Parts: sequence; structure tokens; C-alpha cells
Amino acid sequence: MRPFRRQGDHVDAWLSPAECQVLTLLLDQLEQVLADDAPGDTVRERLFPAGHASDADIAADYRDLTESSLREGKTGDLALVRASVPDGGGVRLDDDQARAWLRTTNDLRLALGTRMGITAQTGPPDPDDPSQEMSVYQWLTAVQGSLVDAFVAGGARRT
Amino acid sequence: MGCVAGPMAPERTTETTTDAEHELDRPWVTVVWDDPVNLMTYVTFVLQDLFGYDEQKATTLMLQVHHEGKAVVSSGPREKMEHDTSRLHAYGLWATYQKDS
Repeated sequence: MRPFRRQGDHVDAWLSPAECQVLTLLLDQLEQVLADDAPGDTVRERLFPAGHASDADIAADYRDLTESSLREGKTGDLALVRASVPDGGGVRLDDDQARAWLRTTNDLRLALGTRMGITAQTGPPDPDDPSQEMSVYQWLTAVQGSLVDAFVAGGARRT
Repeated sequence: MGCVAGPMAPERTTETTTDAEHELDRPWVTVVWDDPVNLMTYVTFVLQDLFGYDEQKATTLMLQVHHEGKAVVSSGPREKMEHDTSRLHAYGLWATYQKDS
């Protein structure tokens, strides 16, 4: 991978074919989580958190009001990312695409982190963990971190 | 995307604002909670982008989340706090809203 960096109105990166395959697989898994209505899934609970920390009625109101539009937003982001993942090679993103990548790579890290058992109680993951999940997590962190830096370098656009 | 503190905030002079009116006007807050996954640079960027905070204010709030476990990032009417919470959830931040204590 060559991480994202700003090039004028765009952000550019380079991803190997293997990296693009892994990313596509992760997108497939996220799509399943977003489509699945089964309650109790810890990843889904992290992607659609309760709106109130202690009041179940307010949390239910919030869910009724916001969950479908939140899901639509995440699904739309995912489609934008999927359409811009190459088979391997250069990735060039405009502002809307880069924002979709920013949010989706964060959701992928949240999903993977949750599956790895990372919670507010456990603290951050151990970077020396030799598991494959950890190397994917660190790769996602590098991709997303470079995107954030590219946004900061370009100045956050106000809309 | 709007800014939080500007035109939405009702203007009142201190003389006419009673405690009861204050309670009705600004009784809710949006809280961001510490999360070991979200990058510090990302949280700072999102706070700047969604709320129009400058880098210094966004960084201060991010560090408060990181060190104290949570920070109030906006305040106002309940409907606005619902909206702010959902905007933060769209970016994957762990946020809730509640009546200001």
C-alpha cells in the first residue's frame, strides 16, 4: 500500500491486488451486518449505539427516529467505496468518495475491533498480537489514518 | 451542515432569563464517550467538521474524551441533540444525549 495523500481536489493511494481482495471481503461482511435485523449482534450494537446511556424509552425513541436513515447512510457509503475499490492499483477519490471511505473504514475497524473483543473496558488492542485479524486491523488503521491526514492537509471543507 | 452555537441559540439577556426558562431552553447535551478504536485524529476531525469547532477547541474536547472518558460536545434543545447524536453515529463516534445535569 501507498497510503492516501492529498493531490489538489483529490486524495490518492495505491493498493495491491491482495489488499483490494481483503477490503472487498470486509465490505461483504459489513454489508451482511447492515442488512441483518437480528438483535443482539455486538457489531450491530456498536454501529448503531443506544442514543441514551440509561433511559431505555429515550433510547427506543432515538432508534425509531434515526436507525433507518443511519443504515441508509452506511449502506450508501459502502456502495460508494465498493465502486471505487480497484482490482489492485491506484485509487483516486473526490471529496464525497473520500468521506465515504473515511466513515466506512471506521465502521470496518469498529466491526473488526468488536469481533476481536476490544471494548472501552479492555482499552486499545495489543499491537504485538500476531493474529491475522490484528494485521488486518492495523492495515485498516493505516488506510483510515492516512485519509484523516489527507483531509486535514486539505482543510476540512465546510458545507 | 450547520454550526451549533450560532443562529439556533436563542438570544436572551441575563435580566430576563429565569432559572425555569433556562431549564426549558438548554436542558439537553450531547456526550461523546471514549472508544479504544476511534483514532484521536479522526475524532478531532469529526468534531471540527460537524460542529465547525476550530482545531484547538476540537483537540481540547478530544483530549477530554480520551483522558476523562467523556466530554459534552454540544448543548441545546432535545431535538437538536438527537440530531447531533445521529450525525456522530453516522461517523462511528460513540455518542449519547441526555438532560444536562
